[in-house]
Amino acid sequence: MAKKRMFINLRECTGCGLCQIACKDEHVGNGYLPWSAPQPDTGQFWIKVHCQERGQIPKVAVTYTPLLCVHCENAPCMKVCPDQAIARTEEGLVWISPEKCSGCRLCQPACPYDAIYFNERLNVAQKCTLCAHRIGKGQLPRCADLCPRDAILFADEDDALLEQLRPEAEALHAEYGTRPRVEYVGLPRPFVAGTVVDAARAEVVANVRITARDLFNDREITALTDGFGDFWLRNLEKGHRYAIKAAKEGYQESVVVVVAEEDRNLGEIRLPRKAEAGAALSH
Amino acid sequence: MGPSTKEVEPSGHRVVYVAHPSSGLGRSNFPIECHVVDNKIVRCLPIRLPESVRLYEIRTSRGTFTRPRKEVQMPLAYSWKRRIHCADRVAYPLLRADWSPDDPRPQSRGRSRFVRISWDQAVDIVVSQLKKIRDRYGSMESVLVQADGHGQSGYLQTLRFWGHYLFEQMHDRLGWGWWLQQMRNPDSWEGYYYGAKHVWGFEESLGEPWQDAVWDDVLENTEMVLFSGNDPEATGFGMSGSIATIMTRWLKQAGIKIVAISPDLNYAGAVCADKWIPLKPNTDAALYLAVAWVWIAEGLYDRDYVATHTVGFEQFKEHVLGRDDELPKTTQWAEKITGVPAHTITALAREWARRRTTLSVYFGGPKIRGTMSHLVGRLEAYVMAMQGIGKPGRQFLRVGAPSFDKKALAQVPRYPAVDKTGVPFNPVLEYAIGRAPKSPVFVPRTLVADAVLNPPVSWRGSTAALADSEDQFKAYQFPPAPDHPGIKMIWNENGNQVGSWTHGRRWIDALRHAGLEFIVGVHPWLENDQLFSDLILPAQTAFEHEDLIAVRRSEILALFYQERAIEPVGEARSDYEIHRLIAQALGIGSAFPPAQEWLKRDYEQTFAFRQLGVSWEEFKRRRFVIYDCPSWQEWVEIKKQHGYGEREGGLAWFWKAGQGLQTPSGKIEFVSQRILQHAPDDRERPPLAQWIEHAELSTSAKARRYPLLVVANHPRLRFHVQGDDIDWLREMWKIKGPDGFLYEPCRIHRSDAAARAIAHGDIVMVYNDRGKVLFAACLSERIIPGAVYTEHGARMDLIEVEGEIIDRGGDINLITPSPAEKYQPGERVRIPEMNVSGFLVEVEKVDIGKLLANARPHRAGAAPA
Repeated sequence: MAKKRMFINLRECTGCGLCQIACKDEHVGNGYLPWSAPQPDTGQFWIKVHCQERGQIPKVAVTYTPLLCVHCENAPCMKVCPDQAIARTEEGLVWISPEKCSGCRLCQPACPYDAIYFNERLNVAQKCTLCAHRIGKGQLPRCADLCPRDAILFADEDDALLEQLRPEAEALHAEYGTRPRVEYVGLPRPFVAGTVVDAARAEVVANVRITARDLFNDREITALTDGFGDFWLRNLEKGHRYAIKAAKEGYQESVVVVVAEEDRNLGEIRLPRKAEAGAALSH
Repeated sequence: MGPSTKEVEPSGHRVVYVAHPSSGLGRSNFPIECHVVDNKIVRCLPIRLPESVRLYEIRTSRGTFTRPRKEVQMPLAYSWKRRIHCADRVAYPLLRADWSPDDPRPQSRGRSRFVRISWDQAVDIVVSQLKKIRDRYGSMESVLVQADGHGQSGYLQTLRFWGHYLFEQMHDRLGWGWWLQQMRNPDSWEGYYYGAKHVWGFEESLGEPWQDAVWDDVLENTEMVLFSGNDPEATGFGMSGSIATIMTRWLKQAGIKIVAISPDLNYAGAVCADKWIPLKPNTDAALYLAVAWVWIAEGLYDRDYVATHTVGFEQFKEHVLGRDDELPKTTQWAEKITGVPAHTITALAREWARRRTTLSVYFGGPKIRGTMSHLVGRLEAYVMAMQGIGKPGRQFLRVGAPSFDKKALAQVPRYPAVDKTGVPFNPVLEYAIGRAPKSPVFVPRTLVADAVLNPPVSWRGSTAALADSEDQFKAYQFPPAPDHPGIKMIWNENGNQVGSWTHGRRWIDALRHAGLEFIVGVHPWLENDQLFSDLILPAQTAFEHEDLIAVRRSEILALFYQERAIEPVGEARSDYEIHRLIAQALGIGSAFPPAQEWLKRDYEQTFAFRQLGVSWEEFKRRRFVIYDCPSWQEWVEIKKQHGYGEREGGLAWFWKAGQGLQTPSGKIEFVSQRILQHAPDDRERPPLAQWIEHAELSTSAKARRYPLLVVANHPRLRFHVQGDDIDWLREMWKIKGPDGFLYEPCRIHRSDAAARAIAHGDIVMVYNDRGKVLFAACLSERIIPGAVYTEHGARMDLIEVEGEIIDRGGDINLITPSPAEKYQPGERVRIPEMNVSGFLVEVEKVDIGKLLANARPHRAGAAPA
């Protein structure tokens, strides 16, 4: 049995919520022993979409991140379960047996991803099974099946379907060190954006070269302002300090230093023309 | 190591296709594949178009574009099953406990309990009330029939228009006279209907340009697309299914820049726009004027095109330059009105001129449903004309699969013969979306409250969706004569006036009007307007009957046969069967043949039967016919026959011909010849569209008390008012208050929230003179300061605090303006428009604990078990 892997491509996710509803549809009121007991009507989210609003008006982007059990290869929940109720399937999925679970709830705080829920009525811990009852039949987990943009890809881990995204796939919170089988593409990293303006003329300035130099390691990221005078410096290293320079022939340079702690709209960056700056000085 | 997943789940289920729950109006998106075990819907899956169906390809130099075989609908569709047995399901005929024929107690509507009665009793009451109206008032003109809502999407059984058909049969077969037909106004398209039609015609598509083969041109030539409030992820997805999001992906794959222009960064803008230009709500008209100013000042518009394809440009130019009113419409002028920096307006104008630019909507975004939105509808057409609409890459683009869309060809490669007869049209659709009222006694939906509370009402235009533009100048009134008894009874199949139309709070007063003797509702749920009914006839969900599914809301056409998925709940009947029952009791049952007979008859008019030779029985056995699309070569040939080059589309024909529009001149009219002829002195809708200040702008005197403007979009998780009770959607979207209630979110900019000491999650009162509605504040950067963002259609949930009615359900339409407000009492309403986005409010934090301590529910009890 080949090991499975899931990639969630955040660049394709529009936050429609269909994965969450598919999961509810499959599991609420439906049990699939030995894999899973029914999910309660509400309150459990074996998959849910986290919405992150980024930046400040008008430089705003939204990143949606579907969150679910990431099926760790080094699963903390398995280690704390006193009943051996949490097992790994041949496909590598982490599975809580509702028949063996004694309801001790030790697994819940052990999970760093907050992916385990507790069913009071049935006295069992529950979470995403990646639709274990379906995949043996060659079907997709329901979230992947319903995703209208195939942002959720699920396949044997050496499948060609995953090939293209593999170099970019990474664990959410790799620092937890649990080696998830569910990985993400396009996890958000801070951006800095702004608009370069020639205030004297009430015009934006296009084709301004923006250079962001990482003051920690001297690496540079560059961008050009577009026809709206806008630039976006994406995928900055969180917490690094950047010197951001705006330069164009005939204009005075502008430099600001920014810490990429969060997504930032720098607003209008005023870039006076050289002749005008000179004229201003001569007064 | 655990066991292998090879062990299989229980089998033995039935697979049934069920119509989309909510796009309605007699047509459907692709259905839901329901798996049924033991009378229970265990799961709802997307459709996969079989490999045997030939998909289209759009071949361009930027690549070949097609659609996936997976076809997905909005989340509502896969959670609709939660409504089958929900708490407010109406399973039996319900009578308001304190209603009696002699003492109807209208003031108790919406307050008192309902009791279960038998169908025999229910039919007796309906028939005797109708006869009473007939005996007392001489005709059915005193019965307001509200039957024009979306509803579930079956072809026959769940239609919301049967009331009109039934009353027309009473007129024809019993001689009971006309009925009062509520006319559905062109609700989501207002500004194009009342405005743009006077510029460029397009009467069959409500003022929006035809979409013939438009994608071929856009994907080949367009460099920039302006999403003018366009939200394929919300409106598009709901109306058309996942093709809306796939089409947006096409734009990105073709390397086309997407610029979102809207007060809110909507769902599509948030994930696909390269640039967002926020502007104050309903100020797009000023933005367009300043864009025109830049083009004129810098010579950046298409002078040749304007000379040959338009009339009245010189007058527009004079106006833009301020030669008629001494007010040049400069970027600085527009900055003050729109909040868009002058340098951004200049950049937009230059980019628009420099790059082949297409403007895109589904219906028109929030700007098109506001006060005097006919002005922006026209100004949008003006600026598109100035850049030569119809030239390669310069089109009007509707993302999704619009219903009213073409001259001759579909937006994507399809066979014209399939377009023509592939999917049947149920003729009763014409009651809701037709060329004219069927009854000469009618009232526009935007004026019904006034027709009940404050008759007479008079207005211009029948508001019929497909009426010709001339009709907008015709005078009408209700009641038609001074000695007319007015409205005495309501037949309500919609149940959504309070949640998606104008000034819903006033509609509640109307429903309690002393003169209203009887209100009958037909609906599956006890919600919104239906709470105010005297008698409710229990309708079914689409899971509970057989029907035809006419897939016409996707860009690929198909027919599905819907088998009954589960047994009917309680004694519920389909909408069709309910009306059939009443007709039988009135002795006119022959007007309602058995459903199977009607379905077979209409099926046998289709391409599937006539050309493909699939008999009704075979179709029912196969359960679907999905029509092939032409190959690219065939499509090129089809286009050639219609005068299009290989990669031409959209309005290329007009660009080439310079005439042929449905305007008096046949050209694009900056100065409307029709308005000039019929209403030359109308200052509200002058022959040349301008920027005109009005009461629902931040410059109005009222703004001192109500400084914020509401943006109210089509919802993403509901379909208008449909489905707001679904627990899975509520827990996904709503915000839990300290009292445990799930409140509807309202986005407010951080700066506006800070000025009002509002924190994220606080319960806030959104209010104006029309009423008060509670929301949970959602602090956001996705809305321009000075505005708040809501989504319409939240289910009304009234409470009473010290005698005052407050809604805690977040039903924003309770406090939207009535079109009559713009006029003096008794004055004729010149444009019975619908303002449901862009109106003034104030927002204030409330101590919800304190408020609720003094509150009691407005409604005495929930639906009886």
